[in-house]
Amino acid sequence: MVSDKDIIKAVREEPERGFRLLMASYREPVYWHIRRLVVSHADAQDAAQETFVRIFRNFSQYNEENSFKAWIFRIATNEALRLLGRQKGSLMLSLDDVTVDMLSRKTDENYEDGDEIAARLQQAILHLPAKQQLAFNMRYYDDMSYDEIAAAIGSSAASVKANYHYAKESIIKYMNNND
Amino acid sequence: MDKQFDFKQVGKRMPYTVPEGFFDEIEKNVMAEIKADKPKKKARTIKIAVRTMIAAAAAIALFLVVTKQQPKDATGSQDDFAYVELAYNNLSTEDQEYLQEIYEEDVFLYNNEESDF
Repeated sequence: MVSDKDIIKAVREEPERGFRLLMASYREPVYWHIRRLVVSHADAQDAAQETFVRIFRNFSQYNEENSFKAWIFRIATNEALRLLGRQKGSLMLSLDDVTVDMLSRKTDENYEDGDEIAARLQQAILHLPAKQQLAFNMRYYDDMSYDEIAAAIGSSAASVKANYHYAKESIIKYMNNND
Repeated sequence: MDKQFDFKQVGKRMPYTVPEGFFDEIEKNVMAEIKADKPKKKARTIKIAVRTMIAAAAAIALFLVVTKQQPKDATGSQDDFAYVELAYNNLSTEDQEYLQEIYEEDVFLYNNEESDF
């Protein structure tokens, strides 16, 4: 697997080749991160494509002292929020606004038949406040450190950690009550 | 005692599906879009100055429109936001596009709510 350092170097030296490496590493994590937030495949596709275009166009703004993965996830998260905001008819959507919108998006037609418990877990996650969702998703599905998540959502590692643990407890409660 | 939910029962499985070949398609779409594009070079001082002036002009235009349209008794933040939206809608397409560009390029604009996270 190509390291982030190699990807960054490649993008700087040979943008097209470097960007192919970047997409090979991040296309799936970015898509799934967005999909978990926006639920619909079509929306996730739009937001993921826009995320990569933005990464390419703003690559010179990336500061190598910070985590590359966190930077990418920050853009992806913003793109998901931007898409949700547009659908609500506003320029932007704050993290506090997102939960209600996400809940209205949960629909069985997006679920794969037969994996009921995985579907229920997503329902449980969608019931969480947006900040807890983000902390949980990035930690649980993307194995990001608290520091990386904090950098991705503009928070502190301590509050991300607290939100992650609240999220876990809430999910367990939800899953036990909706068995 | 009831059996407690264990995350190991699900692991990282997702209940959602994607069309076959989707990830190749998304890569193809993105590469097609950026091929005609080039990553932005670090802006030179003069370029920054010009952009700052244009941004300031657009912001002043927005401020003037807001001030002109806002009734004197409007004090609520929700009202303020509505006036900003209204003022934005009344800007020229060029100014709207420029503000939108600045807004969209600022990847750190969202989520700065550290205090309550």
